[in-house]
Amino acid sequence: MKSLKKGYRLISEQIMLLVIIVAIVIVMTFASPYFLTFNNITNIIQYISVYGITAIGMTMVILTGGINLSVGGTLALSSWFAAFLMLRGVPWFAALLAALAVGALVGAINGVAVSAIGIPPLIATLALEQITRGLHLVLSKGKPLYGLPEGFLSVGAGRIGPVPMSVVWTILLFVLFALFLSHTTLGRTIYAVGGNPTATKIAGVNNRKIIMLVYVVTGMLCSFAGLVLIARLDSCPVSIANKLDMSAITGCVIGGCSVTCGGKGKLFGTFLGIIIMGLIQNALDLLNVSAYYQQFIQGLVILLAVTLDAMKSKDVWGGLKRKKVGKAA
Amino acid sequence: MDNQNNIIEMNHIVKKFSDNVVLNNVSFHLRKGEVHSLMGANGAGKSTLIKILNGLYNYDEGEILYNGKQAEINKVEDAEKLGIAFVHQELNICPDLSVAENIFVGNLRKNKWGVFDKAQTIKEAQDLIDMVQVDMKATDIVRNLRAAEKQIIEILKALTMDAGILVLDEPTSSLNEKEKEIFIGIVNRLKAQGVSIIFISHFIEDVLLLSDRITVLKDGVNNGVFEAGQITKDELITAMMGKKAEVRKRNSEKLAKDTPVVMELKNLSSEYKFENIDLKIQKGSIIGVCGLLGAGKTEIARAIMGIDKFDSGEILLDGEKIHKVTPEIMMKKQVAIVTEDRKTEGFVPMMSIRENSSLSIMKNFANKLGILDFDKQKNYADELSRKMTVKMSSVEQEVGSLSGGNQQKVIIGRCVASNPKVFLLDEPTRGVDVLAKSEIYKILLEMAAKGVAVLIFSSELEELLEVCDEIVILKKGKIVGRVSTEELDKNTLMAKIS
Repeated sequence: MKSLKKGYRLISEQIMLLVIIVAIVIVMTFASPYFLTFNNITNIIQYISVYGITAIGMTMVILTGGINLSVGGTLALSSWFAAFLMLRGVPWFAALLAALAVGALVGAINGVAVSAIGIPPLIATLALEQITRGLHLVLSKGKPLYGLPEGFLSVGAGRIGPVPMSVVWTILLFVLFALFLSHTTLGRTIYAVGGNPTATKIAGVNNRKIIMLVYVVTGMLCSFAGLVLIARLDSCPVSIANKLDMSAITGCVIGGCSVTCGGKGKLFGTFLGIIIMGLIQNALDLLNVSAYYQQFIQGLVILLAVTLDAMKSKDVWGGLKRKKVGKAA
Repeated sequence: MDNQNNIIEMNHIVKKFSDNVVLNNVSFHLRKGEVHSLMGANGAGKSTLIKILNGLYNYDEGEILYNGKQAEINKVEDAEKLGIAFVHQELNICPDLSVAENIFVGNLRKNKWGVFDKAQTIKEAQDLIDMVQVDMKATDIVRNLRAAEKQIIEILKALTMDAGILVLDEPTSSLNEKEKEIFIGIVNRLKAQGVSIIFISHFIEDVLLLSDRITVLKDGVNNGVFEAGQITKDELITAMMGKKAEVRKRNSEKLAKDTPVVMELKNLSSEYKFENIDLKIQKGSIIGVCGLLGAGKTEIARAIMGIDKFDSGEILLDGEKIHKVTPEIMMKKQVAIVTEDRKTEGFVPMMSIRENSSLSIMKNFANKLGILDFDKQKNYADELSRKMTVKMSSVEQEVGSLSGGNQQKVIIGRCVASNPKVFLLDEPTRGVDVLAKSEIYKILLEMAAKGVAVLIFSSELEELLEVCDEIVILKKGKIVGRVSTEELDKNTLMAKIS
């Protein structure tokens, strides 16, 4: 009974998202005969897995009150390293670790810039996006890499029965990190740091360490998403993960992460947000909407989601601010 | 009474916050061209009265007259239209702009093309500066100016709005003696030009020096209007505090002289905030630190905890010097703090009581992998909340939705649970109702009895006298005395700090 209640509470917060998903599915089933086919569903899920894995990190960054625009560059650079090493004959497992190390390094630079130096996350990660993208172009000389080893492809792009490996990895990581955020001291501290950094610092928490850790882990998740992506593509293209940052942020915000104040958002919400984003993308493809409009529509969706968030946040903090005016001197 | 001369009349104002009557039938009259001071202890209703005049608060009963005519002041713009200008204690300046640009901010002079006219702005600003005869150039960059000069910019800013009435809120608290002289000169010159001034201050000497008349509020009632020349400092204190200041002593055995010192501050200094603070705190003692606004109470508390840095000096715990003072390290060394600004620094508003109250000690509820045991955490929060008598629906309630007093109890509970050796509290009972106050003090007394050294930084003199063993008196960032509460009563303490 108790767990049933708990389950209801968990879902009730996300009920709107579920309704939206169901609505899109119903509309699309009628609008396109191809929508509800096995191939298309697999297609959607594979499409969102890369965004999903990245959005896990993005959710944590947003929870601390930050933002990360360097996810695309991090993914590009680290997956190029992985592909390059594998093509040079380095065992794919070692190449995978190297990619994760590159992601961690970029994340660490982000972390230092944001927490130790105090650069606003928006600017710091924007700079890192340029640096990593640029470095990727320099190293790859603007050429894609092909022909990744079999072992790697089977882990990254194989199937367990009918289920693609990318889906397995995505769901596994979502569950793991959802438990991490809700059930561990570190996870809860991430929420606290975002919810009120000053209070948390005064309570004895080293905020800088926490923020640092979040950016490092986010970098590694980007690398992981990159590995899944190059395995599926069997190549590392130059324009890999273009606009990844926007898609991941859109998913997080649709899912209820607040970019106006930290400490608010759940991974389950992000998961549903990413699905909605994937469905919209797929719907636009199936309905033959031109790519120009697609970008326009994605922009509209994110603006709408952020507007709703800002209006809700105003209620939470506006109430407090009003009281603050009335503080007796 | 000659009502012809009154530019502002606030008559029979009643203001309630739910059931709490903050102003009870208060009248306040301001004559044209006078300096009228408003005094009273904390919570007497000064700021409420002024916020009503400013349009920040509505009032429940009474009337406000402007030049004898009924005036509707429902929002800040209404007050501005009547030429009432407020100079707040906090400075609202842009440090990297010039004096002229700061004075005319939002109202910069334009030429006929609608383009910013720098020369004109500077010229008008310089005229204003010359009028008050201060040694300052309109082209100076504000960052390089002294505190007094910045304060003067705030006043000049008010004057550009053709203010006939100027409300100065604690304008002298950050000024040194010399700066104060400049300030007094300006006030007198403004007065001579017919500006009416309401002066709010805790500094009795400044009030006596500057005012024509003084209105004293006490517990939400007008306790008398005095001509400044006809009242002494002691009489004024009595009017503010009441004659029979009842002093109840802390009901515990006196600390033995040889009780070990748990914390020592040596020569702690921070520029413009406090200097040469030397303090030894014994185990199990309750020390009050008192002083007026700007005396450095909050600054010292924050420096000890490492929230703000200090320039020089040492902090010793159990005789051992702390090399790097940060909240994280001080917390590990068992020092806890309840800061003054509860709303922005005390708690995480969207998190539950359970999580907030265990924020400092979350590790205690987790296994080696850091996985939390929610039941254990909940039981702890339940017990703590019961002990702290927090009024709540359950420990899952968000702290942001609790009342102020209950929020404060959650914060204090969190600190208590971290098992401190030294417990710093900055204005712990501000905005807290009487019942919660006594509960909070009860807990502090219990902690002291167990050997915790408690430092209360407060301007609530009555309460300090009630719970503390000793009181350290601060004035302008320096310790000017340390007195046992047995040798003190409220009026002498008030005289010492002001």
